[in-house]
Amino acid sequence: MKTDKITQQRIVRDALISIVLYALPVLLMLLSFSISGERPWKQHTQTIVKASR
Amino acid sequence: MLHYIELVFRNLNGWGLPVIMLIVGIVEFSFGLYENRWTKNERILDIVCFVVPKIVVRPLIAYVGVLFLPTLLPDAKNIFAWVPFWWGFAIIAVGDDLTQYWYHRLHHQLPWLWRFHRTHHSAPYMGMAMASRQNIIYTIFFSQIYLTTTLVYLGLGYPVLFVTGIKALITTAAHSSIKWDKPFYTIRWLQPIGWVMERLISTPATHHAHHADSNDDGVGHYKGNFGNMFFIWDIIFGTGIITRQYPSGYGIKHYKEEEWYAQFLWPVFKSKRKGSELAVDGPVVGDSEPVLTVPPLVKA
Repeated sequence: MKTDKITQQRIVRDALISIVLYALPVLLMLLSFSISGERPWKQHTQTIVKASR
Repeated sequence: MLHYIELVFRNLNGWGLPVIMLIVGIVEFSFGLYENRWTKNERILDIVCFVVPKIVVRPLIAYVGVLFLPTLLPDAKNIFAWVPFWWGFAIIAVGDDLTQYWYHRLHHQLPWLWRFHRTHHSAPYMGMAMASRQNIIYTIFFSQIYLTTTLVYLGLGYPVLFVTGIKALITTAAHSSIKWDKPFYTIRWLQPIGWVMERLISTPATHHAHHADSNDDGVGHYKGNFGNMFFIWDIIFGTGIITRQYPSGYGIKHYKEEEWYAQFLWPVFKSKRKGSELAVDGPVVGDSEPVLTVPPLVKA
């Protein structure tokens, strides 16, 4: 028994949309950093370095 | 305050949720919401599915988190620990629930996967008793668990604590036979909240429709409404329907009350029921089998 062609096409279409949906929160986060000028990864690295001294 | 919220979620993810499920389950049972359909076979299956994954799956997740990932990605531990809490929350909420949406949808739309998921649909009732009811293979390969474990390893453990807690509450509440969402459709001032809620998260109305035994009443939609925590995926992909009603029957029409061990451990154990999807020579999807109807006898 096979999946019908329309369902197969919808699965492919929706999988492609899902890639955008997965990336969306990450892209929005990076956008917010570029607007605000925040660099939390740099602060975090400095904190780790200070802690290890 | 934050400390107490954190404590609530830590306990919720440990012993809290099973205790909530037991209490709600007792309330459902005492209100007669299982309608005498909780037979001995269903009881054993539901209890085994509630207990065994907690013993089998947790060590598996621990293995992935403590042994497998440090070997595979030795320098990546806590590499994303700098991600601010709310962004981490959003990344995990989308990553975890969208992965589960796909895992669930594919088990309905790819016929060869259906038999790993049918155990969850064979229950002719809704409620806490059947909320954990799954075939063991489906449970072990629950894809989003491994994704989330990986994100914990990469440093997003704190937001994961809250996402998994909220998700567990929503998905459990959507399976309840207590129709707690009804006031949001009937009480006027609650209706705007209800409108947003039923599109954003799974509710008894939308999730019960997914567990309907038929689509004929215009309420049941067992070939859609795949969302678990978020219903919004069904809205985006056009796989959902919202009726604000509850189906007249639950389960699967071609259910043959297969032995609990066959439902839990198929394909290791097969059913002896003739014509069952879980039997050796049974159909892959019973739905696709033509139903033989005997024409009514016409009296001369």
